[in-house]
Amino acid sequence: MEVTHQGRKSAVTGSARKIKDNAADWHNLILKWDKLNDEGSAVANKIVNLGLIKQDSQREQHMVMEDLASASSLIIGRPPDHSRELEEECIKLVTIVDNMTRVVSKMAKLVSSERGVVELETFQYRAEGRPPPLFLTWTTAQFAELSSKLYEAFSIELSLKKAILQELAHTTNSDLCLVYLSCWLHQPYIDHDIKLLQEGLLLETGHRTL
Amino acid sequence: MLDVSMSNPALLSFQQVLKKCFQSLESNQNEWNSILAECTSLVTSLGNSAEQLRALSTVEISNTPLSTFPDLQERLQFKLIQAVDLVLGKLNEKMSALKLVRDSISKQVWSAFQLYEQYSDSLDLATCTQRSATAPSISDMLEWLQDAERYYRQQFLRRKSLLQSMRPNDLSLLESVPKRWEALYSTSKDESISETLFKVSFFVESQ
Repeated sequence: MEVTHQGRKSAVTGSARKIKDNAADWHNLILKWDKLNDEGSAVANKIVNLGLIKQDSQREQHMVMEDLASASSLIIGRPPDHSRELEEECIKLVTIVDNMTRVVSKMAKLVSSERGVVELETFQYRAEGRPPPLFLTWTTAQFAELSSKLYEAFSIELSLKKAILQELAHTTNSDLCLVYLSCWLHQPYIDHDIKLLQEGLLLETGHRTL
Repeated sequence: MLDVSMSNPALLSFQQVLKKCFQSLESNQNEWNSILAECTSLVTSLGNSAEQLRALSTVEISNTPLSTFPDLQERLQFKLIQAVDLVLGKLNEKMSALKLVRDSISKQVWSAFQLYEQYSDSLDLATCTQRSATAPSISDMLEWLQDAERYYRQQFLRRKSLLQSMRPNDLSLLESVPKRWEALYSTSKDESISETLFKVSFFVESQ
C-alpha cells in the first residue's frame, strides 16, 4: 500500500502508518519509563534509609551485647525490627524493575518492526530507497537508526538499574549508596540527545507541530 | 484631642505618603517572603546535588559492582553538574525578583524621606513626635520605615554574597549552602516588620 501524496492531512497508510504509530508508541513507552523511574527513585531512597537505620541499630545492638558480656545484667528489649519494611520496599523495587524490563522489550519490538519496514522498502525500491520521504525529510532508514539508538540507551540504563537493585539493600558504604541513588535518579545513559531524538521523531511524524 | 492635621496641609499630605509607604511595605513583605519560600526547595536541591557529587568523587567506580558500565563516572558527573546549573539559573531569577522588591521598598522609603526634607519647615519636632491612639508619631513611623528598608537591603546583599561565594570545585562549600541560606533568615526581624505593620494599621486605614 502506498502513502497518498495529497498533503499532510491525508490518511496515512502502509509503512508511514506503521512508523507514525511507532512514534506514538515510543512517546508513550518513554512516558511510562519516566513514571516508573520516579516511583523507583522514591522506593530506592526508602531502601537506603531503612538500610542505614538497620546498620545503626545493629551497631547499637552489638554495643549492647558487648556491655552485657562485660556486666552480667538482664537482657534489655530488642530495638525495632525494620527488616520486614525493608523487604517490602525491596519487593516493590523488583516489581518496578520488572515493569521497566517489559517496557524495554516493547521497545525492542519497535526496533524490529522498523527494521522490517526498511527491509520492505529496500525490496520495493532497491538500494535507492523511496523517492519522496515518508514524512518531511527523514529517510526510512533514519527512523530505524533512531529507534536503535533509543533502544540501546534504555537497554543499558535498564542493566544499570538491575545492577543497582542487586546491591542497594546490602551496601554498607553510605557514599556508594548515594552514588546508586544518583545513578537511578539521573539516568546517566539517557542524555539530552535522547530527548532531542524523541522530539525530532514526534515533529517529523506530525504528532507535534512546530 | 485637636486634630493638628486640620491646620497643617503639609502634614496631611505627608501622612498620605506615609500611608502609601506602609501599604506598599506590606505587599512587598508578602512578595519577598513568597519568593524566599520558592528559594528553599531550590537551595535544598543544590545541597543534594553537591552531596551526590561529593559521594561520586569519593567512590572509586572501578572498585564497585558498577565497574562494567562504560564512562559511568563522567556521565553521572555531567548530569549532576547540569542539575546544579539548572538550579543556579532558577536561583538567579529569584534573586532578580528579590532585587525588584528591595528596590521598590528603597525607592518608597527614600521618597518619603525626601518629602520630609521638603516639608521640614511645617513638620517641626512637636508635630513629628505627636502621636494619638490611632496614629503613631511621624518620627516613629519614619524610623520603622528606615529599619525595614535596611533589613531588606542587608538581606539581599547577604544572600547575593552567599550565592556568589560558591566555587565550582569546592563541593563542601556547595553542600553547606542550604544551612547558611536558612541561617540568614531572621525571624525576629521579619516579625518586627509585621509588628510595625500592625502598629500602623489604624493609621493606614484612617481617612
